[in-house]
Amino acid sequence: MRHGGVTKFSFQNLFGPIIIISALTFFVGRTSASLQLITQFTLCYFMMVLALQVFVGNSGVLSFGHGSFALIGSYISGMLTAPINIKGHALAMNQLWQALVPLHTNIYLALLISAIISAFFAALTGSLLMRLSGLSAGIATFALLGVTYNVFFNNKRIGPGSQALPAVPTISNTYILLLLAALAIVVVYLFNISSLGRTLIATREDAMAAPALGINIYRVRLIAFTLSGFLAGLSGGMYVHVAGTFQVQDYYLEFTFLTLSMLIIGGSASLWGALLGTIVISTIGQLLLMMEQDLPIFGIHAHIPEGSRAVIIAVAFVAVLLWRSSGIANGKEFSIPTFWRK
Amino acid sequence: MNKKAFQADQVSKSFGALRVLDNVSITINPGEVVGLLGPNGAGKSTFINILAGYERQDGGTVTIDGHPLDGLSPSARAKLGVARTFQSGRLFSKLTVAENVALGAIGLGNSAKVAKERTQSILEILGIEKLSPYQAESISHGNARLVGLARAVAAHPEYLIMDEPAAGLNEDEAPRLIHALESVTKNIGCGMLLVEHNVKLVTDACSRVIVLATGTLIFDGDPHEALKHEEVKSAYLGNAGVH
Repeated sequence: MRHGGVTKFSFQNLFGPIIIISALTFFVGRTSASLQLITQFTLCYFMMVLALQVFVGNSGVLSFGHGSFALIGSYISGMLTAPINIKGHALAMNQLWQALVPLHTNIYLALLISAIISAFFAALTGSLLMRLSGLSAGIATFALLGVTYNVFFNNKRIGPGSQALPAVPTISNTYILLLLAALAIVVVYLFNISSLGRTLIATREDAMAAPALGINIYRVRLIAFTLSGFLAGLSGGMYVHVAGTFQVQDYYLEFTFLTLSMLIIGGSASLWGALLGTIVISTIGQLLLMMEQDLPIFGIHAHIPEGSRAVIIAVAFVAVLLWRSSGIANGKEFSIPTFWRK
Repeated sequence: MNKKAFQADQVSKSFGALRVLDNVSITINPGEVVGLLGPNGAGKSTFINILAGYERQDGGTVTIDGHPLDGLSPSARAKLGVARTFQSGRLFSKLTVAENVALGAIGLGNSAKVAKERTQSILEILGIEKLSPYQAESISHGNARLVGLARAVAAHPEYLIMDEPAAGLNEDEAPRLIHALESVTKNIGCGMLLVEHNVKLVTDACSRVIVLATGTLIFDGDPHEALKHEEVKSAYLGNAGVH
């Protein structure tokens, strides 16, 4: 018989990922300016993967719609912080609804507002979508992504449409992003081990047995979807303040596929899996990108055709689904390897 | 209508042209352990699925203590005091035994503290407290049946529907189940409907037995009388007798 369990508090389960992500941010981020920028983007992706873990990982319901919440978070935080003269005069914004021009606040309040509004949007859409499961839920959430994307891409009254909103102020201090990621780890971990998290996991494990225990599947999924929307909105907000521009295209198919790959490859059933997947895919993705651009890796040139990165990550995604569906972490949270313990 | 009872009144169900249940009426009184027997295809599974809210009947009504349950979901019925177990156990495989059992209390909105206390108490009552830290998917089939019972009982239900609790149990495990059922009756005191093929278990554990055949109730009474009942013998027991 195996010991196990997923809902017992453990310091190493919680602080292991925080220490690892802090160490990586500290060491990698100090290596060069370009690696610092990559680290910042990775922290934004990690926030998104955490958002997916809360809902997709714990409920077992696949969502392609979380890009919508990131898009809305990014849009709100970008619009609330971009200089008023840019919003008022930039060519891309000449059809903008004028009431939006004077709205302005600082980055941190904007991030909070963007996460809250994204959570509200998730609750609103989730109130319909959470009635669905399996294939229907996957398709419906994909439709949500398509609708949100097309509304923002084609409507220049509310934003830059297909153009970019430039001059969004950036967060230059990587440790602020790290702090947000660490706080998110704490929130997600506490949710996962809470009674609510346990009931959500129960619905994933057996959607027929759970209602017999009084568990209202719709309600627990909706709560998780809302929390997930909050984190996805925060992820989008962070992303726009790292990129320095808001572009609708940044939160569509590639973003959705990449972040889902990180979750599935790392292992969707645990927070540790979310972190492992983010680190592994970000690292491999960056190395492949350098190979596509014929840049030396440790002095070695290994050129691969353009587009190979997406293909290789997709193949890795399929391979994991085929041969290790529980991902690298295999559903487990972080623990110190036995041979390191006294 | 009995004010303090779990009742099905004139329940009917058809799948297309096939009449699976034909005006079936039963009553389970508080604390009473009732067996439900019947050959394969008698409509037992459909009937308990209707009682627990997993299927809707075409006609008739189901009530608990006089309150109609018709149209309510399984989770809503659980909150009103109707718990069930499943033929295949259906434990949450990645959770531990303790986590599984605690969900029986948590699912009804009890605090984690209450859930923990109930879990300890119920596992001790059933004599399986040593299984607490183990993953549900790693325990034996016999133990899994007891954990499924413990999980349902953790809700402190008024009435418990058990779907073939002895299915797949060996000769050593079946007496443990009977002992567990007696412990539950003694300590929790809920009414039980026991759907079983094991006639000996039903006669040992139940004070009354109901027999279904081709969707019709053909017997409701003393278990030992059922064994002598001509229609029951013809429809279900045949020459096999008690085994």
